[in-house]
Amino acid sequence: MESKSKISLKIDGGEVTADEGMTILEVAQQAGIHIPTLCHHPALSKWGGCRMCVVEVEGVPRLVASCVMPVREGMMVVTTNERIIKSRRAVLEFIFAERNHNCMFCEKSGDCELQQLAYDLQMDHMAVPQAFTPYPLDITNDYMGIDHNRCILCGRCVRACAELAGNHVLAFQNRGPRSLIGFDLNETLNGSTCYACGICLQVCPTGAIFNRQRTHYAVKGHTKAWQATDSHCPQCGLLCATTMVVADNTLLKVEGRLTADGKRPDRGQLCFRGRFEIFNDFGERLRHPLVRNAKGRWTEESWENALDRVAKKMNSLRDTAGGQVLFGIASGGVSNEVLIAFRDLLAKGWSAGTIDTFDGSHYRAVLAASRELGHPLEEASWRQLPDSDFVIACGADLSKRQPLLLSLLRRNVLENGSRVAVIGPADVMASFRSFYFETDHEDLPAWVDILWNMAAQASGGTPKAKGKTQKTGQAGGKRYLTDLQKKVGMPAKTRTALTDMVSQYLASKQPLVIAGEALSDAKCASALNHLARLTGLKDPDACGRLMILKRDGNSAGAWKLGIAAQKRPGPKRRLKAGLMLLGEESAADIAVWTGRSAPEFLAVISPHMPTKLLDKAQVFIPRPSWLEEEGTYTASDGNETAHVKKVLTAPEGVRDTWQTLLALADRTGGAPALKTLEQLTKKAAAELNPGIET
Amino acid sequence: MTKPKIATVWFEACSGCHMSFLDLDEALVDVLSKVQLTVSPVTDFKDYDFPEVDVGIVEGGVGNTEHKEIAEKLRKHCRILVALGDCAVFGGINTLRNGLPKEEVLRYGFIETESTVNGVMPIHEELPALLDKILPLHEVVPVDVFLPGCPPSPEVIAYGLTEILEGRIPVLPADMIHFD
Repeated sequence: MESKSKISLKIDGGEVTADEGMTILEVAQQAGIHIPTLCHHPALSKWGGCRMCVVEVEGVPRLVASCVMPVREGMMVVTTNERIIKSRRAVLEFIFAERNHNCMFCEKSGDCELQQLAYDLQMDHMAVPQAFTPYPLDITNDYMGIDHNRCILCGRCVRACAELAGNHVLAFQNRGPRSLIGFDLNETLNGSTCYACGICLQVCPTGAIFNRQRTHYAVKGHTKAWQATDSHCPQCGLLCATTMVVADNTLLKVEGRLTADGKRPDRGQLCFRGRFEIFNDFGERLRHPLVRNAKGRWTEESWENALDRVAKKMNSLRDTAGGQVLFGIASGGVSNEVLIAFRDLLAKGWSAGTIDTFDGSHYRAVLAASRELGHPLEEASWRQLPDSDFVIACGADLSKRQPLLLSLLRRNVLENGSRVAVIGPADVMASFRSFYFETDHEDLPAWVDILWNMAAQASGGTPKAKGKTQKTGQAGGKRYLTDLQKKVGMPAKTRTALTDMVSQYLASKQPLVIAGEALSDAKCASALNHLARLTGLKDPDACGRLMILKRDGNSAGAWKLGIAAQKRPGPKRRLKAGLMLLGEESAADIAVWTGRSAPEFLAVISPHMPTKLLDKAQVFIPRPSWLEEEGTYTASDGNETAHVKKVLTAPEGVRDTWQTLLALADRTGGAPALKTLEQLTKKAAAELNPGIET
Repeated sequence: MTKPKIATVWFEACSGCHMSFLDLDEALVDVLSKVQLTVSPVTDFKDYDFPEVDVGIVEGGVGNTEHKEIAEKLRKHCRILVALGDCAVFGGINTLRNGLPKEEVLRYGFIETESTVNGVMPIHEELPALLDKILPLHEVVPVDVFLPGCPPSPEVIAYGLTEILEGRIPVLPADMIHFD
């Protein structure tokens, strides 16, 4: 490839070289020369709206906006002189005078780009009288509010919503001083098509768009004490790149790393879970080990005594009744290090008969499908999404667990003209889908069977069985298909649409099939198999076109490390004692393990008070939340590992989970082989063999 | 040599800027030994027949007819006029009322608040009347020195006063300007 020709020019008297096509601003920044900006954002398209970045170019009578002015050979640029500063300050004062920018009751104060510019330009008063026109405030949405009084109409939010999120909810409405950032067609924020990804909030230079979930506000002097740590969000298997901003052991904000990693197709976006729900109150923290005494009362206990009690009970049952009566159940939302320590404690220390994760049934459905197929399911990565020209989303409620995928799908439709077909009960993709087949959970397997059979028949490349049956690996006959269609009550119109969809799928070059959680539900095991075969029609050698969504942030790590049981755990009455490792599991998840008959003994390691287990467990041991503990997590495709950093300090006295697990292992009679976090991390890396490390 | 005379007043404000002045701590002794404080809330001197002073310091925005009158008087009798704090410089937190009709503001403040029983509107010929909008000081009279901040830190106040006492008109450097 021919390299771009080099240009040399002078900025503030100094010789600099640049590539053709670069702007004055980019070249200046590269040379370490500061030019103030306001509407400009490196992750967004160039705008040139605010004129804060004006510079003098020799031979050009007027000041030019450096953010949109390309450099040319021999250019002489001056970035600071009296005339330039006068112009910038006039612009700034007009911006301040137009709306109501009152720093002392704005939560953005101390972290505000507009305020910083006023300081930098020494705006100690305003020569322009303020307008004092009141503007509306929109607090209809629980996650974010928008105060138009603080809006400077820089349009960053409008560009971010369109260019990064691909959602095009935000736009300018009205004209002149009446201009407002509007949602859809004069909607409220909550009534609009906004998914609350919060990208607009992140790029807003003022306090106009603000976080309503945050409980602690920026106050004077805080910015200097803030710590920003680059980390990842492990709440779903996408492991988005974040910057966690903390002050005084309190999380202030979570930002997506917009420019950090050009390799991530999400371009640094986050979703409402990562940006806002992280501030949710997850319940009372468990601060000390608690044990239930003979009278059934919960009392505080020392760490050593509490761990002794757990080990004594488990050891004695192992020695008398055998490990078969012991079980361990772990959250899929904890780090690989914790999972390995947990697995080794249960398997090696206690020879436990049952070790599983809360989403183990999904793992077994995937296993069953691959057994039926006769080869392992090679899963597609979410990173393939932007290259896909036809996507079938099946039983996937993306808005709940992986909202970021919605943005990738939407942008792919808009930018690349890809098509999206949705089969399932809930459809949040109404605005950009090409096909929608509404069906409830019960009929989903039949629908997938129909889909696979129609595709197999249409492609003609697969052996067909005759009559009303289909054998493993084969499509059913015409009769079989008609019966299925009758069973789900499919009208002729839908049949035609489905035929159309199947032919588009078969004609596509880079199709991708997304299997949601509903598909890996135990009831739908065969459906996953059918979907795999469907992708096999396009790619006979490998089934790398099936993306299986996982429920928890580290489901893939837990599955690959062998924590999820391969067989369905046996009848619960045989399980006498167990250890439960909780993350943010729901009451329903927990009930599966304690529902009908509580085991004789249950110890729970949890960051929060497990209120649902007060009458079922005997010992509670605290652990840090994921923000308080270092660890690696594996992305849902199993090919990528991310380091999640410790950004907060756990409540006093609470030990790291891996330490607690190793302390228990020490009490099982044989010392654990791995003794430090580094050893656990190394072991995890060796077992998981991640392709990409981030 | 006579000491420079200073007068200070507060208008529509919370008195926080004066508190910040007192927050100079031991430096306050030094400052006060160099100047003569005349009319000021600190001296509880309520007669606004100002003597001729070198420095007039105003905290608070101009919110009613009395503020306006005093501001004009002080301007006449001082050599250097200082707007101290966000309210005097920008109007400050009081500008929240600038988007509302003043009758509504008074009605809410004096009649409708939860804790008010038998409230009366403060409208009387002997009472100063509320202006339609609260204004920054420099929109009423010319101002020489601006020291923003809510409140301005003791360092800002010390810097401003020291510069003035040494015969210069202070301009706050970027790292000393604060609006909160």
